[in-house]
Formats: sequence, C-alpha cells, structure tokens
Amino acid sequence: MSALDGFSAISRRRFLHTALAASGVLLAGGGGLLALRGSAPSVTGLARLSDHQYRTLAQLALALFPPGGAFAFGADRVDLARAFDTFLRDEPEHNVRDLTRALTWLEYGPVLYDHRLTTFSHLTEDERLAHFESWAASDDLLRRQVAVAFRKFMSLVFYDTPEVWPSIGYEGPRFRKGNAP
Amino acid sequence: MSDSIIDLSRGLPKRELSVEVCIIGSGCGGATAAWTLASAGKDVLVLEEGGDYTGLDLTQRDGAMYDQLYMERGGRSTSDLSITVLQGRVLGGGGVINACDVVPIDDAVLRHWQTRHGLTDFSPEALAPYRDRALADLSANLPSEAELNTNNALLREGARALGWRGEVMLHNRVGCAGTGTCLIGCPLDAKRNPRFVAIPAAIEAGARFLLRARAVRIEGGDREQKTIHVRALDPLGHREQGSLVVRAKVVVLAANAVASAELLLRSGLGNEHTGRHLSLQPQLPVSAIFDREVRFFRGIPQSFAVTEHERVDEASGLGGFRIESIGGTPGIVASMLPKLGHEGKAMMTRYPNLAAVLCLIPDGPNGRVRLESSGRMRIDYETPDEQRQRYRDAAKAAARLFFAAGAREVHVAGARPLILRNGADLAPIDGLRFEAATVPFLSAHQQGSVRFAPSAKDGAADPDGCVYGTRDVYVFDSSGFPTTSSSHTMAPILTVSRYLAEKLVARLG
Repeated sequence: MSALDGFSAISRRRFLHTALAASGVLLAGGGGLLALRGSAPSVTGLARLSDHQYRTLAQLALALFPPGGAFAFGADRVDLARAFDTFLRDEPEHNVRDLTRALTWLEYGPVLYDHRLTTFSHLTEDERLAHFESWAASDDLLRRQVAVAFRKFMSLVFYDTPEVWPSIGYEGPRFRKGNAP
Repeated sequence: MSDSIIDLSRGLPKRELSVEVCIIGSGCGGATAAWTLASAGKDVLVLEEGGDYTGLDLTQRDGAMYDQLYMERGGRSTSDLSITVLQGRVLGGGGVINACDVVPIDDAVLRHWQTRHGLTDFSPEALAPYRDRALADLSANLPSEAELNTNNALLREGARALGWRGEVMLHNRVGCAGTGTCLIGCPLDAKRNPRFVAIPAAIEAGARFLLRARAVRIEGGDREQKTIHVRALDPLGHREQGSLVVRAKVVVLAANAVASAELLLRSGLGNEHTGRHLSLQPQLPVSAIFDREVRFFRGIPQSFAVTEHERVDEASGLGGFRIESIGGTPGIVASMLPKLGHEGKAMMTRYPNLAAVLCLIPDGPNGRVRLESSGRMRIDYETPDEQRQRYRDAAKAAARLFFAAGAREVHVAGARPLILRNGADLAPIDGLRFEAATVPFLSAHQQGSVRFAPSAKDGAADPDGCVYGTRDVYVFDSSGFPTTSSSHTMAPILTVSRYLAEKLVARLG
C-alpha cells in the first residue's frame, strides 16, 4: 500500500478573515498579476485544486523534499499535491476555501513580500525553500500559519511513504495482515 | 457483541429511537458511565462519531490512522494554529490512541478542588475507591526494566546524572510487543482501554452503541424528554449521509473537553461559563541526536517521567512541569523537526539516533471553546508570560537531561529553531518567545470547558455533573475538571465518571 492509498489526512487550517481579504485583494489585482503566474500544465482528475494551485503545491513539495542529497527519493516520486487534493475532497467547504486561497497567496508571495516580479512556482528550488522558510519565521502570524499547515501535511505524507523508509532506518509496521503473531 | 454495536454508515436501523439514557462519546468517560448505568438496569444508548478499529485494522500508518482515529482527521488545533489538539474519535475514544500512562489524581489536587473550587464532595476519601477501581479496570502495572526502551533509559540516565527525581510510570498494557505505535493504535490490542474493558462489560449489561453517529444538537434540555439530533456519517466518517433522532430522559455528555462544550453551545444550553476555563496542558517537544542508536520508534514510547520540577499542593493544584520521553512514526516526527529541504532529509537519516521528550506544562484554564457566527467551532487560547517562562525552563531542563545522557546536539523548536551543541551554554533558549504557530505544541489532555462548581456563578455544571439550567443533562468527562487533574487524564476520567455515574444511579432510583 502506498502512502496515498487510504490517506486522507492531516490538518484543519483556519485562516483569519484578514488572510482571506488579502487573497481577495490579490485576486482583484488585475490581469498583470495573473499574467505573472503564467500557465500551469493541465492536471487530470483533480477534485478541488486548480491547475495553478496544484503546480504551487507540487513546486513547494519539491523544495521541501528535493530529490537527491542524503537519499535519492524525493517529492518527484510521490505526488504530494494530489494527496492534498484527495484530502481536500472530504474537508468542509470552509477549510477548502481557506486552504486553496492560502495556496494562491503563497504563489504570489514573492510579489507581495519580496517585491519581485515573479511568482513562487517560478523561483529556483533553493529560492522556494528560502521563501517558504521566511514565511515560517515571519513576524506575520498569517504567513506562519500557512507554513505550519502545509509543512505538517507534506511531511506526514512524504515520510509515510514506504519507499522512504529504508533511507531513514525505519523498517515499517511490525505487524501486517498475514504476519500477525 | 456485534448486535449491540450498530454502524450507521451501513444504514439507519430507525429514524427515531427512545431510550432512558443517551451517552454521547464512548471513551473513558462515556464507556465507564455506560457500564455503570447499564449495570444498574438502565436502558443505555451510546453515540460514537468514530468507527471501530481493533487488531490489524490499526495499520500502524500515520496517514490513514490520524485520519480515522482522531477528531478532525488529526488536524484539530487552536484557532491560531499554535497547538495541535489531539482527541480520539473511535470506539473507545482517547484510550485507543493514548500512550497508556496511568497517573491518578493526586490527593492534593482533590483538596485544591475542595478548598479553592468548592467541590466539597470530591474528597480524597470519597474518590479513593473509584480511583482504585479505575486502576483495577485498567490493569495498571509497572513496565518491566526490559520494557524501558533506549529513549526512556537515556532520560533516566540523564536524571540520575543530574540527581533529579523521576519515576517509571504505571501503564495499562498487557501483552505489549513493543510496536511503538501506541499513538495510532495497538495492532495487538494490548491496551486495557475502554474498547476492551468497559465497552464489552457495558454491552454485557445491555448497553447499545451507535457508530458513525454525530450528535449535533440537544433539544429540550430543560424538559423531561430530550431530543438528540444525530447525523449518520459515511464509512470513513467524513461526510454526513443521513439523520435520526434519539429521545432520552437523561443525556450524558462525554465527548471530550472540546466536543462536550461545543454540543452544549450548539444546543443553546448551559450558562456563560460553558466553553470557558479550558485547559490544554500544552506539551513542548524537544529532541536530540545521539551517536548511538536510540530507535525511539520501537518499544514503549513513554514509560519514564522526570518529575523534579512538578509541583502539586492544595493551594495551587498541579504546577511546574514534567518531562517524559516520546517516540513516533516517521511522518509525525518529520513534521516537528527543525529543518526542511536537503538539511531536513539529512536530519531524517539520523532518525534511528533521534531521542525526544515532551515537556508537559500544566496550565491555568487559559482556553475557550466558541462558536463563530458562521457556526464554525474554534478553540481560542492565551499563553500568559508566566507560562512562556515555564516553556523556557522546561526546554532548558530537557536540554540538560539530554546532554547529561550524552547527546551530541539538542533541538528546540522556535521561529528560528535552536540546535544546541554545548550543554554549558543554554542561554539561547532564553531568547525563545514561543510566538503562535512557531512551535509544534501538542495537547492531549484537555480539561475544564464545562467546569463543575457549587453555583452557576462560578461554573457551568453542578458538582454532580448536571449542566446548570438543564434537567438531567450531565457532563461526565474531563470537561468538568476545574483545574488540570493530572499529567495524564485517562485514570482521572475513569475515576470521576464512575463516581458521578453511581451518584446518578442513586438519584434515578
């Protein structure tokens, strides 16, 4: 069973009204801002995420768990963005709304907070990680909340993937159906 | 047993049920009350929002198990996302997903409740037989020396090196094989929790249980006959797929210290204290890396406690802090480590060398369960400066313990996480502010949102657990505790629930 089978998962995120207002202002920012994000590849079978939101999340996953380094397995081998979409399928509407808006907000983070004419998905892997970590350590509670929410979900799913376990010295569940004592 | 447990996700038996007593929640409080009341001949129906998971249906996998065994799929948290609020949602409740620690209410806490909170009936003498009964029902026993895994042994080693007080804790495991997955259920059913003790006994006495049954509102709380509106959930408990009503003369809330208050608020029951005075008893994780293998993910996760800094007295109840070992499966551990990216991956390759503790901080009742105008429930929580200082003190104490046991480095979470490599210089901890949403605080022992008090002026329920302003709507879980009862609430809830349920039996005749 892969990490995604039967996974539904973690956190309820509740973002304050000001966060929603911020993303509303952002979305109202007009065609110029929308053009910055460019087009996103079409992804089939998504329940709740848009193609752009999926791309933002997939790019975040690659920054958090890049392939190579200490071990080869990375977020290129497990579709964390789709796992999140699966999770959202059964979440209350208010959580879906908050979380998808948070993704849009994260996508425009470099414009809003770093004064750069580019969006999150267009940053390099190192820049994406640095940008996300700057949210986690921000003086702004709302950005920290976004960082907490996505980090927790992504970490839980990534390291619940059996293919990762040999690299971290974990043998997996002791008992499975068929090998019970 | 199966005839007495009906899973509503498979269809509604009836649109309307009538019983004498309806209990909401099947955990330590609800199952104990069901057992007591059914044994006295009462017609008892228990509503449980979760499903029934035992044996190898408890897969030892983070994703599926947090989804299925916990409230809000493991994601319940305070409204500022500072503290993850862990609560069971499964037949047997929190007893299915806790770390099995059995720590009864200290007599000094009971005297504190008597003298400072007016609960004169809650004397150590009155509660003693119920405490003893709780310990017996839990098959409380001490883990053997061989059962202390390396993580716990290191904590003890650190405490001994520093000359600090500590103890091996009682637990309710029988036949433990050391899977290490207690927090996501025991696949060997080795926990003597309500699922395997009180619930079978309650069923034997005639109680019935409805699973995937979410109570959403109580109508007529001040009348003889109450109507409980119930939603039937789908097989995974994610969506509502039907409804029924239960009519009952007596309603017992034992859904947990958030859900019991939430249901009262949704029903317009209780007074201005309902939802207030919530204790979350935050737990601060501190981790360390050792040169030797620790493998904290195997064996009993939590068996040794450093109690050097814990304070308990009649004047102020439980205070200070205690430090206990903890282990975890990879997903939940990774979500708490300080690094991401390549550094995070490198850190996780040291997973077998990681050790971890939780610093348990008894809090004043600083929290509140509320309903927003939209109907969303929220948990608000304030952290006073004094409590933040105890976080720092506890983090320092944990670091000292780790270094005394030979740790190479110690990690303390924060907006900018600390990685300490010199046990002689813990001053950086003084700079931690513990701002909201920077530290992965956990709460596993919520208490107090429907506080017992001798008058409606001071609390939401009377000392018998009856919610003020209602007729026979009771609270028999930790919601009633006026202050934090213990570092671990399983034994206290069993104790108080049976005590109050027996009083109720006497009243009902």
